[in-house]
Amino acid sequence: MFRKIAVAAGLLAAAIAGPAQAQDYPEKPIEFIVPWGPGGGSDTLMRIVAMGLTEVTGQPVPIVNMPGVGGTVGLAEFAKRPADGYTISQIHEGLYTANKLGITELSYKNFIPVALVTSSPQYLVLSKNDNFSNLEELKAYAEANPGAVRAGVTLGGVPHLHMAMIEEALGVEFSYVGFRDTGERIRAAVGGNVDIVIGDVASASEFVKNGDLIFAGVGTEERTAEEPDVPTMAEQGYDLSMAVTRGVVLPAGTPDEIVEALDTALEKAMSLPDIREKMTNAGSAEIYLGHEAYKAYLDKLDSEVDKVVGKLQG
Amino acid sequence: MMLDAFLAGAHQVFAFDTLIYMLIGSIAGIIAAAIPGFTVTMAIILTLPLTFSMGPLQGVSVMLSVYVGGYTGGLISAALLGIPGTPSSVATTFDAYPMARGGEPGRALSLGVWSSFFGTVISTIVLILAAPPLAMIAVKLGPWEYFSLIVFALTIVASLVGNSLMRGLIAGVIGLGLATIGPDPMMGQPRLTFESSILLPGLPFLVVLIGIFAISQLMGEVEDHGKGNSSDALIPDVIEFKTWSVMREVLMHPVNLVRSSLVGVFIGALPGAGGSIANLLAYDQAKRSSKNPEEFGKGTPDGVIASEAGNSATAGGGLIPMIALGIPGSAVDAILMAALMVHGISVGPRLIMDNADLAYGMFVAMVVSSLMMLVVCVLSMRLFLRVTDIPKQFIVPTVMICCVIGAFALNNRVTDLYLLGAIGLVGYGLKSLDYPLAPLVLGVILGPIAETNLRRALMSDGDWTVFFTRPISAVLLAAALLSVIFSVRSVLKMRKKDRPATDEQDGD
Repeated sequence: MFRKIAVAAGLLAAAIAGPAQAQDYPEKPIEFIVPWGPGGGSDTLMRIVAMGLTEVTGQPVPIVNMPGVGGTVGLAEFAKRPADGYTISQIHEGLYTANKLGITELSYKNFIPVALVTSSPQYLVLSKNDNFSNLEELKAYAEANPGAVRAGVTLGGVPHLHMAMIEEALGVEFSYVGFRDTGERIRAAVGGNVDIVIGDVASASEFVKNGDLIFAGVGTEERTAEEPDVPTMAEQGYDLSMAVTRGVVLPAGTPDEIVEALDTALEKAMSLPDIREKMTNAGSAEIYLGHEAYKAYLDKLDSEVDKVVGKLQG
Repeated sequence: MMLDAFLAGAHQVFAFDTLIYMLIGSIAGIIAAAIPGFTVTMAIILTLPLTFSMGPLQGVSVMLSVYVGGYTGGLISAALLGIPGTPSSVATTFDAYPMARGGEPGRALSLGVWSSFFGTVISTIVLILAAPPLAMIAVKLGPWEYFSLIVFALTIVASLVGNSLMRGLIAGVIGLGLATIGPDPMMGQPRLTFESSILLPGLPFLVVLIGIFAISQLMGEVEDHGKGNSSDALIPDVIEFKTWSVMREVLMHPVNLVRSSLVGVFIGALPGAGGSIANLLAYDQAKRSSKNPEEFGKGTPDGVIASEAGNSATAGGGLIPMIALGIPGSAVDAILMAALMVHGISVGPRLIMDNADLAYGMFVAMVVSSLMMLVVCVLSMRLFLRVTDIPKQFIVPTVMICCVIGAFALNNRVTDLYLLGAIGLVGYGLKSLDYPLAPLVLGVILGPIAETNLRRALMSDGDWTVFFTRPISAVLLAAALLSVIFSVRSVLKMRKKDRPATDEQDGD
């Protein structure tokens, strides 16, 4: 009896609250599969997103870490989940490289893009050394000494892709050394065990301030707010776009209303002041692309990755 | 300046609410680590979102209390059940368990708790005094040094072999082999997976550890059931703690205590090595320098002290590169850093200068955490020992369920549970055939680190002589060679001595 009254009251409230409120979604907790381990960039950023989503929807959004094989184990599991909006996940450029290198059959097309929520601009970072201290000198040195410059990357991962883009644009040859994550690469660069790496503000800027590392260029269209003194790659004559962008996705077949409702909820969440501040602190630029815009972005990215992917198979 | 920062940090840590949260964190860490299959890392991940709403130092202090508690909690199941509660308490099972079974469970626990306490305190002292130079050394080490260090670490297999050197070496090789299954550590290309979705993600180290130690130990308990030696309970109920006399006993082994703690600090300070190696290395060093190496594995206090001081000291050690340089020494430190970053604190080489109160507050929090751990453990020891009163038919299934949940919670993969079952059977088989299990686990830990660094070294420089021309690398390789010679000699000596009486004592 009481339950019926409660339901009726709830319906009434919903009706008053406004029309077309994509039913009651979400009416129970949303599981957020992060296909990477705890403590990394994806994990930290997505925990903040989950926090904002909880604030907006009033539903808990527990993070479930499912790491393994470059993020593909978690996504494979996610693809099998019911398309009802109660399991969400995250993708970034790593899915493209994993797919194109044949590590997984999954591609971004297996999922419905909901919204792009973070973008971490990537920098070309030089270890302090006697041979070069900016992009021009690096090019000259690498031209004179093919293969002598040791580049730290995650083999078959996004940094590898970015480094290959730089190598191609400069028309030089690096030798690659493999590392598991950004922290490991930065450490090797600080210790002088590699010469150049791809890094971001969150992991490298303190070392730049301290004089151990040098930012030689950033892969954004305009200079970033955090590092206004670092020239873009485009400014220096190389039209390269290098960023790690993370978006929320749903399994294929999810009803449109739910995609819309989630998009709306995410947009609200990402505009909350405390969430914005935390995202910035964790190294993400302010960005939001909704469902359609994100989809177009992913298609464009696909053709860009295709151009350089051959370099990764060496 | 330094004193100001110290006082400012201490002021924040000694706030009433911070202390209460830390106490809860400490208890949570101890419990999580005491349950086989649940790790410190998991407990800290659960704490992470909670700290988002706390102040930066408060959040980190709570996480540190979980961390310190966790390095101690592992000894409870190691001593009472013979199952390492966390990867860092493998060596604790060697002597604490025989000691507990021999009728002194209270002494085994007290020894472990005090050693952990002193280990943490010593590591914190080193952290405060020598963080910047040690961190600089740690970061300069390249793949060559790491590879040589792992080669050295592999030679400690000889200390872990139990009765037969041959069976120990075979177990170590099996471990190295198991570690090659799954995506290769450099390119992520699948190896030895036979297109099976179960093997595709590889064998997670924790799943191997739980399978090898916990499942085989539990099956052994079931098998022994009804043989009458220990009636229902796992351990006869002689409950004596002698907390203070045990403290004196620990302090009576100052050389072992300090050496094991320093091993823990150095291994902890090397990014990527960590507690799971430190306890074994400290145990090995203690055994080698002991006048009575044959007592190791039979319940000698030295073994417990070495392992527990060694693993707890990695907590302070791991903070060295993090506080001095902003480079995490372990997965746990990476999570700590993430917690600070979200609060807008850039963790890097300038942390001590720019956020001195935070850095010194962390030192204070380390000391407070270790005191809390000590108080909680001493007060609740009687409670832990009640575990030994519980009849086997309840405790074996309960622990088994915890193991399964823990193995699943690690990566949330159902396939890991099939692996757990299969590895458990292998472990049980090996144990029944009197193969020592520790070398296998060592192989699984060290194999991938060795491979990664060997390949990284050769990618950086195709010339293999670099391994011998870089001084630290050369010293480590020489140490490895000496270690092998020493082991072979002592095995030959033991063989001569032991000829008349064959010893049936189990190696682990």
